Amino acid sequence: MMSALIAPAPAVYARESWAEIVKSARMPQFIIPTIALPPAFYALFALAMGQGSAEAATRALATFGVFAVMGPALFGFGANIAAERESGQLELKRLSPMPAGAQIMAKLAATAAFSMVAFVLLYGLGLAGGVVLTALQWAMLVGVHTLAIIPFALIGLGIGYRLGQKGAIAVANIVFLAMAVLGGLWMPIAVLPEAMQTIAWALPSYHLGEMALMAAGQREAANLWLHVVPLALTTLAAAVFAWTGERQQAR
Amino acid sequence: MLSHSSPIAALKGATKVYGAHRVLDGFDFALEAGTVTALLGPNGAGKSTVAGLLTGRLRADAGTVNLFGRDPSDPLARARMGIMLQAGGLPETLTVAEAVDLHAGYFARRLPTAAVLDQAGLTALAGRRCDRLSGGEARKVQFALAIAGAPDLLVLDEPTTGFDPDARRAMWDVVCAKAEGGAAVLLATHHMDEAEALADRIVVIADGRIIADGAPDAIKARVAATAIRLRTRLPAERFRAAPGVVKVETVGADLSLLTTAPRLTLEAAFAIDPALQHFEVTGASLEDALANLIQSNRTTALKEAA
Repeated sequence: MMSALIAPAPAVYARESWAEIVKSARMPQFIIPTIALPPAFYALFALAMGQGSAEAATRALATFGVFAVMGPALFGFGANIAAERESGQLELKRLSPMPAGAQIMAKLAATAAFSMVAFVLLYGLGLAGGVVLTALQWAMLVGVHTLAIIPFALIGLGIGYRLGQKGAIAVANIVFLAMAVLGGLWMPIAVLPEAMQTIAWALPSYHLGEMALMAAGQREAANLWLHVVPLALTTLAAAVFAWTGERQQAR
Repeated sequence: MLSHSSPIAALKGATKVYGAHRVLDGFDFALEAGTVTALLGPNGAGKSTVAGLLTGRLRADAGTVNLFGRDPSDPLARARMGIMLQAGGLPETLTVAEAVDLHAGYFARRLPTAAVLDQAGLTALAGRRCDRLSGGEARKVQFALAIAGAPDLLVLDEPTTGFDPDARRAMWDVVCAKAEGGAAVLLATHHMDEAEALADRIVVIADGRIIADGAPDAIKARVAATAIRLRTRLPAERFRAAPGVVKVETVGADLSLLTTAPRLTLEAAFAIDPALQHFEVTGASLEDALANLIQSNRTTALKEAA
């Protein structure tokens, strides 16, 4: 009798995820910059300025795939959740029988969906630019790029729970740029001053970029753990950042 | 299952402290099925704290909160409750029908979307995006979300803000129908006419305590039951000592006497001012009654403190 009160969780998760995708897809001011920026930068920096070098195109594809995740994750989670919290929508969901994880899962699904669109555009440009990878290398590259969703989504979440919409957008922008430049996603960190290079070790973007380069056969994979361990630690820190932000909500 | 007589929701000895301020201290309160209960009182009296504790929005610092025999955070309790918050945003880019359908989907006992839209008076706006609604229309959607799960407890916080009179009456009809169908309704409002039109029971809160609890008529009867309006040239002080009078007020060119013995007061008024021609006798409004209750509560509190 009692269980007849609660809607089956998988159905709620699916509907919430679909609604989240529809909500964002109807915001062209959000969706066009976040999806189109990474392929556009890739075409400009790697393909046009790389002067037809397949190696340059491959290296850039690896790091720009990580870059492509950051927009949907930081802005989709950060700014959107801040707006929904400010307007009282989160509170109403919290007081409903909606399973607690459905909201987060839905945002992850939307981030993944929009990241996938950016991946497809990037990979298409890469192929056109002369990138040649084995099936295994493609699979590993897609795996690393997809993995990148998790730490950035957690950081976005932590920002969105703490700040208002405007503040969240501003901070997300700073994080977005810092992660891209200092993490070596646009160009190798070797071009940066030495002091700035050390910052990269604390950034998940750097380690994901290095792992993507390894997946694409552009780096020796011998020292993989040197990136897996810091990535795991920064992801854990991001999870704590998100979780403590969520805890602040309940009074 | 719960027995028929157990309350829908109850606070027992509930205490809520913000910093050094005890908003509620050992507060007892219960809601019964099939009843519209209006919570009234000045701002900061604890109305929204009471509603927040019952719905699980706030946590009590001490005491127990019981919603359908469970903790309010239990999804099984939440599945039987519909809430209309005071600040309730909507998913901007979803249509009205999509927003209602999504929310209704959290509840296994949900009503069909078309039925919810019909009851909330939103059928014509079903395809409109939520960011293109007026304030009153958005409020209707929030009401639709509250009733979408066929709740046994409906919590409404200032539900008709921004409504035109027709829309207001239409929503009141739906709320009354829900209560007649067996739901408990908790209404927090500033509008006395709304409380008077809807409530079977009025609970007045001041300084974190219940100072009156009863049917609207009983609340009005608890204070000076009658207001007498006089057109006189004499000063107000002359009437203050008349039998039964508890309060004298100047209203424009008239005097308004609140009295518990209208007949004696009127006789005395004619004796005091033989030239008295114009007078009007009415029941005290709920607003009068409330103002008096809160005023006398303050006076008592001051005396106790002295």
